[in-house]
Amino acid sequence: MNPPVACNRGSGGSGRVVRPGRRVSGPGDLVAPRIGRSVLHATVAIGLVYVLLAATLTYWQVVRADALTVDPGNPMVLAAQQSVLPGRILDARGTVLAKSVRLADGSVLREYLTDPSLGPLLGYRSSRFGTAGIESAEDGVLTGLTGQSESDLLLRKLRFELYQPQDVILGIDMRLQRDVERLMGNRRGAVVAMDPSTGRILALVSTPGFDPNSIANPATAAGAFQRLTSDPASPLLDRATQGLYVPGSVFKLVTSIAGLGSGTITAETTYPDQPAEEMTGFLVDGYRVVDGHHPFTGNLALDYTQALEVSCNIYFAHVGLAVGGPAMVEWAARLGFGAALPFALPTAASQVTSGGGPLGGFKDRVELANAAYGQAEVLVTPLQMALVASTIADGGVLMQPQLVIGTRDSDGTMHSILPVSWRTVIDPATASTIANAMEQAVSGVWGIPFAGLGKVPGVPTAGKTGTAQLGGSGEPHSWFVGFAPVQGAKIAVAVLLERAGSGATEAAPLASQVMADYLALPPVPAP
Amino acid sequence: MSTVPIVTARQLGLRVRPRLRRRELGLLVLVSVVLLAGRASLASTLAGHLALGDLRLLGVYLVALFGVHLAFVLAGRRMDQVLLPTVALLGGISLLVMERLPQDLVVQRYAGQTFGLAPLQLGWLLVALMLMGGLGIVVRSDNWLRLYKYTWAAAAIALLLAVFVFGRDVNGAQLDLCVGPVCGQPSELVKVILVVFLAGYLADNRELLAGASTDVGPFRLPPLPYLVPMGIMLGIALGVVSFQHDLGSALLYYLVFLFLLYIATARVSYVVLGLALFLAGSAVLYELYPVVRLRVDVWLNPWADPQGAGFQTLRALYALGSGGILGTGLGAGLPTVGSAPAIPVIESDFVFSAIAEELGLVGALAVLTCYVVIAERGLRIAATAQDDFRALLAAGLTLVVVVQAAIIVGGNIKLVPLTGITLPFVSYGGSSLVANALVVGLLLALSDRGVEPPPPPSARRRAFRWARAGQP
Repeated sequence: MNPPVACNRGSGGSGRVVRPGRRVSGPGDLVAPRIGRSVLHATVAIGLVYVLLAATLTYWQVVRADALTVDPGNPMVLAAQQSVLPGRILDARGTVLAKSVRLADGSVLREYLTDPSLGPLLGYRSSRFGTAGIESAEDGVLTGLTGQSESDLLLRKLRFELYQPQDVILGIDMRLQRDVERLMGNRRGAVVAMDPSTGRILALVSTPGFDPNSIANPATAAGAFQRLTSDPASPLLDRATQGLYVPGSVFKLVTSIAGLGSGTITAETTYPDQPAEEMTGFLVDGYRVVDGHHPFTGNLALDYTQALEVSCNIYFAHVGLAVGGPAMVEWAARLGFGAALPFALPTAASQVTSGGGPLGGFKDRVELANAAYGQAEVLVTPLQMALVASTIADGGVLMQPQLVIGTRDSDGTMHSILPVSWRTVIDPATASTIANAMEQAVSGVWGIPFAGLGKVPGVPTAGKTGTAQLGGSGEPHSWFVGFAPVQGAKIAVAVLLERAGSGATEAAPLASQVMADYLALPPVPAP
Repeated sequence: MSTVPIVTARQLGLRVRPRLRRRELGLLVLVSVVLLAGRASLASTLAGHLALGDLRLLGVYLVALFGVHLAFVLAGRRMDQVLLPTVALLGGISLLVMERLPQDLVVQRYAGQTFGLAPLQLGWLLVALMLMGGLGIVVRSDNWLRLYKYTWAAAAIALLLAVFVFGRDVNGAQLDLCVGPVCGQPSELVKVILVVFLAGYLADNRELLAGASTDVGPFRLPPLPYLVPMGIMLGIALGVVSFQHDLGSALLYYLVFLFLLYIATARVSYVVLGLALFLAGSAVLYELYPVVRLRVDVWLNPWADPQGAGFQTLRALYALGSGGILGTGLGAGLPTVGSAPAIPVIESDFVFSAIAEELGLVGALAVLTCYVVIAERGLRIAATAQDDFRALLAAGLTLVVVVQAAIIVGGNIKLVPLTGITLPFVSYGGSSLVANALVVGLLLALSDRGVEPPPPPSARRRAFRWARAGQP
């Protein structure tokens, strides 16, 4: 057998003749490159291809795994919905808001408390109409498809309990939720109550609501769904998170945060022309900003606290113009404006302007001046306004609004979800300045006629009313946002009553009652 | 040595000295342990307990595996010791997945007996093992491949055309050719023959292709005349498989061709030109074939038609999602809709999705790693080969396996548009297993440094004379 021949790679082409006339050029004795080198390049290329495959696989199996698992088209979701009993939904005190029962024929029926305010909040779970509200947002956890840590998942697999439905625990206090619902009566609107120090939502009421059982029960589902979708009062719409309303004067709190937070104004800032402009109107580029119904303050140039107390449009128009369009948009964005909020339920994005204009989105100084006191193109959700109040109450720290405070395995193991600080919007001193002005608005000599009814008896209360002019005929939206007590606030609220009249006479007393009732409730034991 | 026989009598003689293959043995033991554990896990998930009968199929497979190992030891050759265990692991995973899937996905009757998915796959795995072992032991020379490249090319085209004329449709593509009761997909075999042809042609012409150039006006282009024979062969192969809607094979042939052209010439310009032609060709196919358009559209947005065109892709993605990092466990995932698995063709084109769901990211990455190992071993054989033909042959054989795996895995995970092609050694199917076993068998043979040295240039002419005379 011959010994292996060391091949003289790269010299084999010497015998070739390059044919003339073909215009093939090149050296006469062509030398091919070493093949080992290009094999190495190919190896690296293959390696990179496989790294790309591994990265893509990791993306799907880690980053997108939960989203894929609860995708409505996933056959597992359908299978789980038909086979497992979804977990319960509880309030912070353990009251069962929703539970599943298996009927004699093997199908699953979802049963809810019948309070109509639970409809927009919990949504429904229906074999025909799918899921909505919390039922939709927490579907993966309730059916046990997601929401488990990898270690839990591994344990389950060893025990052959793959998809274990979990209970979802809300921060809602059903006592307060019922109370709010009773106070709202048959008025249309929304109330958001939250704990400013944790961001936990204590009550989330949108009226009119609906009884979720009507859609969950197959016997009544079709009729109820038809009735609810055609109802002009849109009971299926969660006004608290998705209703966009003109805020009126409650927006002055946002302007306050922008003005004081940016250092554009201080608590002592006055505008010398303001007393005169009370008579003539404040002329902005040919448009007159006027104050509607302002207590008589004479020739006194109001400082910040006094301006908020009397809700002076002209003062805040000045502040808005001084802050400027881009800064207004930016400060509002720090409070959550301009994008959906990080929240369990879908939320509409609040806005300070429709955008497109040269002044950071405002089309001119007139729009900016009007927006500064909550008119023009400003649109907010009640939840967003509750966040504004909560930020001021919590010393300038904005907590993420939190609806789900924990989950519980069927074996009783509780998984708490801790409060999350979203961002620090203003420093504590600035927050204190605004809180002080809001307290004056409720309890001051000039403020009482405006927001005095928002006062919680015996408790220092901070608040701001709003009466949002809608143009055309009809009553304005009635707003109140506030918190109590002023120091160490336990509850912040945003109350909106659609076309109910002035904030002072409608929303303020309701808010006062809600806060007073909550403060009188025995506290919730830690879960 | 005046003739070029495939196997010399001396080499087949019994004077070989057994040579222990410790590394291979160790790796095979490891693979066996992993597979037995997998089978036990599967049994306990499906039935809740482990019965001895559950190990029947896997036991047969493992016995065959060690049989091949023993044969290699007795043959005494110095072959690569990593390839066989790597392929064995992939084949074993395939067997576990086939045992796990509904057995009635594929049913065939032989000799009055009905066989389901797993026994059939075991049969093909045994054939593949025998083929790998046989080639690894018997092939001592590559002259039978290098000297008849045009004959092989002609055979490949004849095979493809035969499918064209006598073929049978599979999933909208004309793929199957039946000879009596045995049906197969010649496109799998053609990929191997194509590599043999390309290796032979490029080995003969690489100096010219690498160094010369054609001047067209101010442009220096590659030496086009020397690309023509190869282009014709490739064009026919691509044309036929494209016409049969076998887009996966077309893509595989083309990518392997580009890789080999680069390896032979080290000219980046070929790759650039090749990719430009690829894009142009894809655009033409996109316009011509609704099926191509559909695949690309689904790749871009499977959610556009979740119950129709995007169905397969979405179902595969859901499987990835429910698998997560650690998987559902063998036997615990893969929901069935009615009695069919949630993903269509899960036993073949989408077998990787099944693995990714039940074995999770960890298991899926392990499978990918097997192909990387095959790539490393195969390309190492290429880099240390004794001459250009062997180097190109070894590289080409390796690439058909690992590029094919990348194409189908990429399609499964929506990295590239889906083109139907099998996952080597894992998908169900005889043609795929046999063709890929052929590849690994040849790689094993080539890895032996004792393979008969390449003939001197003069012998080539003599060989042709011998071929014409039809006798030594």
